[in-house]
Amino acid sequence: MKHFSSTAISARSAESSKRMSGSGFESLKALVVDDNAHMRSLLRALLNSIGIKEVQEAAHGGAALDMLRSKKIDLVLTDMQMQPMDGLEFTRQVRLSDTSPNPFVPIIMISGHTERHRIEVARDAGVTEFLAKPITAAHLFSRIAEIVERPRAFVRTEGYFGPDRRRRQDDNFAGPWRRANDFADTEVR
Amino acid sequence: MTTKPQAQMIAPDAYPQMMTGKDVAQAMATLKSAQTKAKAQGAMKAAAPPMRAAILQYVDQLEEAGQDLVRIFDLMHEIRGFAETAGLATTGRIADILCRYMDDMLRLGKAMDAHLVALHVAAITRAARAEKDDEAMGQIVVTELAALVTRRLMEAQNTPKP
Repeated sequence: MKHFSSTAISARSAESSKRMSGSGFESLKALVVDDNAHMRSLLRALLNSIGIKEVQEAAHGGAALDMLRSKKIDLVLTDMQMQPMDGLEFTRQVRLSDTSPNPFVPIIMISGHTERHRIEVARDAGVTEFLAKPITAAHLFSRIAEIVERPRAFVRTEGYFGPDRRRRQDDNFAGPWRRANDFADTEVR
Repeated sequence: MTTKPQAQMIAPDAYPQMMTGKDVAQAMATLKSAQTKAKAQGAMKAAAPPMRAAILQYVDQLEEAGQDLVRIFDLMHEIRGFAETAGLATTGRIADILCRYMDDMLRLGKAMDAHLVALHVAAITRAARAEKDDEAMGQIVVTELAALVTRRLMEAQNTPKP
């Protein structure tokens, strides 16, 4: 029979209650990429409010890539327009570069440029979610909820690697496919 | 004949997820909780004064931009993105109207009306520098500018490219 000391039991109990009272986010590390310090500060505070304590910051895509290479990051929030490397190029580098440390990391792009063609460019770069400025906490949290609750499959084609760009999967859909050999080599489960 | 490379799909359970198992349920509860909402509202409120200061800097830069439409285009999108968070709703709405005008004119390949742009810049400058966001007056200005922009865009759509 195994005996636990009272210290061990109370330590285990404290750990358990800590887990029970946790937010589910506390072990995550986020990276906020924006050239505006006020925006970075606001996003950090919003991430803190859901329990993400470790938030790294970068002012442009190049610095963000360096950070991704030096730290394990679980979630990225990035602006679109930045110099010298913008959020689109940053996203492409994360998804496609041979040296990318985590091509699957969820990326939420946040931008005041909300015209349809720009959102499509962001989608084609491989962003996971798009959030229009001005931001609200509710909108940011809804994008995070999408990532948490409904993670998307990733697709690799000749010119694209990133989340499946088709939002809704229809299990009853039997075609027609856009390409005759779509998903011939599929790993869908 | 060459065959196109096949698309490969990687299911969510075949690559590392941000979180799994019990953490998912806990995270979803956190995102929906009243406590989180209150903390987030506090964060948004605290962000307003520095955002307002940033908007005023952008407005100064707008005035310095003169007729540099590329610069105005960039600044206007920044202002649109921050104004509401800064508590400057009218400023945000005017910026939104001008952003839509500039985006549409670029899409149509038409020259922008410098006078119309200047009118919006002047309205934004006034609205942002006002001590309080005057909702009633702001709504009148926004409605008038939006109608003017709609008219100009219709004219642009109906005239052939030069």
